[in-house]
Amino acid sequence: MTPPDPRSILCELTYRCNLQCPYCYNPLDLGNPREEIDVATWLRVLDEAADLGILQIGFSGGEPTLRRADLVRLVERTTSRGGYANLITQGTFLDAEYLDALLAAGLAHVQISIQAPERESAFAIAGTDVHDRKLEALRLVATRDVALTLNCVLHRLNHDALPEVIAFAEREGIRRLELANVQFYGWAYRNRGALIPTREQVERSARIVSAARERLRGRMEIIYVLPDYFEEFPKPCMHGWAQVALTVTPDGRILPCPAAAGITTLTFPTVRDGTLADAWRNSDAFRAYRGTGWMPEPCRSCDRRELDFGGCRCQAFLLTGDAAATDPACSKSPHHDSVVALRDAGPEREVAPVPRRPTPVA
Amino acid sequence: MTYRLARGVRLQKAPDGAAVLLVPEGIVTLNDSAAATLELLDGNRDPGAIAAMLAERYQADLPELTSDVCTLLDDFVERGYVTP
Repeated sequence: MTPPDPRSILCELTYRCNLQCPYCYNPLDLGNPREEIDVATWLRVLDEAADLGILQIGFSGGEPTLRRADLVRLVERTTSRGGYANLITQGTFLDAEYLDALLAAGLAHVQISIQAPERESAFAIAGTDVHDRKLEALRLVATRDVALTLNCVLHRLNHDALPEVIAFAEREGIRRLELANVQFYGWAYRNRGALIPTREQVERSARIVSAARERLRGRMEIIYVLPDYFEEFPKPCMHGWAQVALTVTPDGRILPCPAAAGITTLTFPTVRDGTLADAWRNSDAFRAYRGTGWMPEPCRSCDRRELDFGGCRCQAFLLTGDAAATDPACSKSPHHDSVVALRDAGPEREVAPVPRRPTPVA
Repeated sequence: MTYRLARGVRLQKAPDGAAVLLVPEGIVTLNDSAAATLELLDGNRDPGAIAAMLAERYQADLPELTSDVCTLLDDFVERGYVTP
């Protein structure tokens, strides 16, 4: 069966970053910067994406603006091929001259993340004192003709500051706010014991978000990414394996999602082996969990199998060692106990998170 | 009141020829009447002027079109795609 063509691509230009956020979803092995694919290869990847009809292109990392000159060329190519360029950044390198170069190249949307609504706690989470620089970038972008999203990843260490995050966004005139509960991949998975929110935090935040949405209707869109381990059913991760999106890693591996490299039982195609179209249509890795044919019980006979697609393959692998297992976040999973145990854990809550490993940024 | 597309929102044709609105991390497929309406947003025309242009182009009923244009714009303002 021919799969539908993908609609979006995430280009992870580098895993380097000057922040050390413990909730980062990048892999524990941040690789060797010397193995990052060059700009000519990225330009070819963008052409292949356009040939596949992909309109949404995200530039992420790590911190994508660390490939400063390359990024401008990539945004330019995206735009000239009719694509919509999104920049997902922490903002610390966005000065006016550079931002305007990106905008001249056609950048359509900037997402800037903050770690907390004020400097001291942001410093504690990011491991670097950059909150004020982010604020400057945010205010700069707000003066330009480009879409702006403010993002804040929520976890146990900042959940209680949610009302202040929303107030911060209001004060800064933000029109689009993404509040994303931490998802447990990469560094965040390593730090899950310290980062998982309490049930009280989760319930309180749901009420706060719902009231804020009502109050700010028409003025601010609030995107709320639900906490994964607290729901009865798993998230419909990526709308199913290899259904709508793909990711290219800094060293050129082609993945169905940013976390998929964690599934060590699969061999992923690379941009050196063939085109994105080849990888999407024909590679074993992309075909492995597409559709519903791969599903074991309880997914196979579940009436939700076309709603949540068995949940997340990466999470199934991390928690069970089997990427074809039902996502343990699902209450029907035979491994659901491991999620409940983490969610309801006591003493481990006192553990401090391990900061993401510092990387060379020059 | 006059309207324009919100910052970073782009109206264009998809490779298959369909009119789409490209928004942050999203693609909104438009029907013909929505696309025709959005093409006429220039920050100067109000819904009445847009409806009049559409009525002439499609030989359609003006009051009904005016109501359709207002409904669409209200919806898209709420979704953040259009700015008054």
